[in-house]
Amino acid sequence: MARHSPVTGRYVTIEVDGLEYKVFYLHNGKGTPLVCQHTAGCHNHQWRGLLEDEEITRDYNVIAYDLARHGKSDPPLNVEWWKSEYKLTADHYVNFITTLCDALELDNPIFMGSSFGGNVALQLAMRHPDRFRAVIPVEAADYAPGFFLDWWRHPHVNAAQVCASGTWDLMAPQSPDMDRWLTWHYYTQGSEVFKGDLYFYSVDHDLRRDLDRIDARRCPVVMMTGTYDFLTPPEVTENTARRIKGGIYIEMTDIGHFPMSENYPVFRVYLKEALRIIREKTGG
Amino acid sequence: MAADLKHWAGKFKSLTDSDATIGAMAKYYTCTFMYDMGDAKVIVEMHDGKVKHINTNPAPLDAYDFALRASAASWREFGKPVPRPHFHGIWAASFREDLKIEGNITVLMQNLRNFTVQFELLRKCGVPV
Repeated sequence: MARHSPVTGRYVTIEVDGLEYKVFYLHNGKGTPLVCQHTAGCHNHQWRGLLEDEEITRDYNVIAYDLARHGKSDPPLNVEWWKSEYKLTADHYVNFITTLCDALELDNPIFMGSSFGGNVALQLAMRHPDRFRAVIPVEAADYAPGFFLDWWRHPHVNAAQVCASGTWDLMAPQSPDMDRWLTWHYYTQGSEVFKGDLYFYSVDHDLRRDLDRIDARRCPVVMMTGTYDFLTPPEVTENTARRIKGGIYIEMTDIGHFPMSENYPVFRVYLKEALRIIREKTGG
Repeated sequence: MAADLKHWAGKFKSLTDSDATIGAMAKYYTCTFMYDMGDAKVIVEMHDGKVKHINTNPAPLDAYDFALRASAASWREFGKPVPRPHFHGIWAASFREDLKIEGNITVLMQNLRNFTVQFELLRKCGVPV
């Protein structure tokens, strides 16, 4: 008897800002759509624990996609992408997500992302509050400078290992070795895009003067950050949440910047609380 | 102090040389670095994943590729079995605490996988400050 997972994968072709993408996504569950964005330079296997969580997938249709150029989602198929430097912008990132949600005909989904996925969750809440039931920005902040570094794809080093080991201590020492090394393994696979992703994360994403444009009473915003995150430490996330009308902050103890991937059993405790809050506020 | 430092160097060498994760990719892990711990300084010379020598009394002109410099208090945090947040790695401590990474950082980046694993061995052997 084959030991199949209930998780299945599909491709969908979308056009975003004139670029044609064949997007790969994993999904499992039924009910409220819960759209999940991986971290920069990574792919959707970071959500492997959530995708197979029997309790959550009973009520939520979990969809974890690979952003274009990551995992099994190729770079754009209709342009010579290798002739220009990849730098992800907030505009394109937001357009990608809304176009993908439209293509999948998702009804009022919850959007959750970690790190640069968390930062774009804030962008979505600001720009498209009526298209999302709620957002869960994980390890996010209004501004996260300092990680747009040349080392991530420097030709004199093993960029795969620099990306993987350079993000190693974003994880908590308490997280299990197997999960930390799996996350390390994923990070060896995205070194060509990591720096370009971080252009969005550390440069183009800057909401320091725009947080008053987010109204969490229209689109609930539940922010969660781990105590071992040195890029967006808890106080930075908390300050961001405080400046959002109706923003909620949950601190996650003894976990780091990749919580869903480095220690899912701990992360799910906090995620269930976030989902409970969203149900309370939205009725779904 | 000198005897303590030599004893620590022996433990650190033994842990490094027997570490399976470093051993799994030891070839070419060859570089020389300084741990500047305030009261104590050591220069660790690595060759193909093994400690070739630990200089526990560096002279002013003794050479190394790169150095990690921080207060003794920070090194004591690095050496705890479970360090506090921001003391749990060289990136965290250089972004948020007083760790300075100096010298030829390209060499550090070329050896980052194994260097990171080896740095965490301090949680097992502690630090000599």
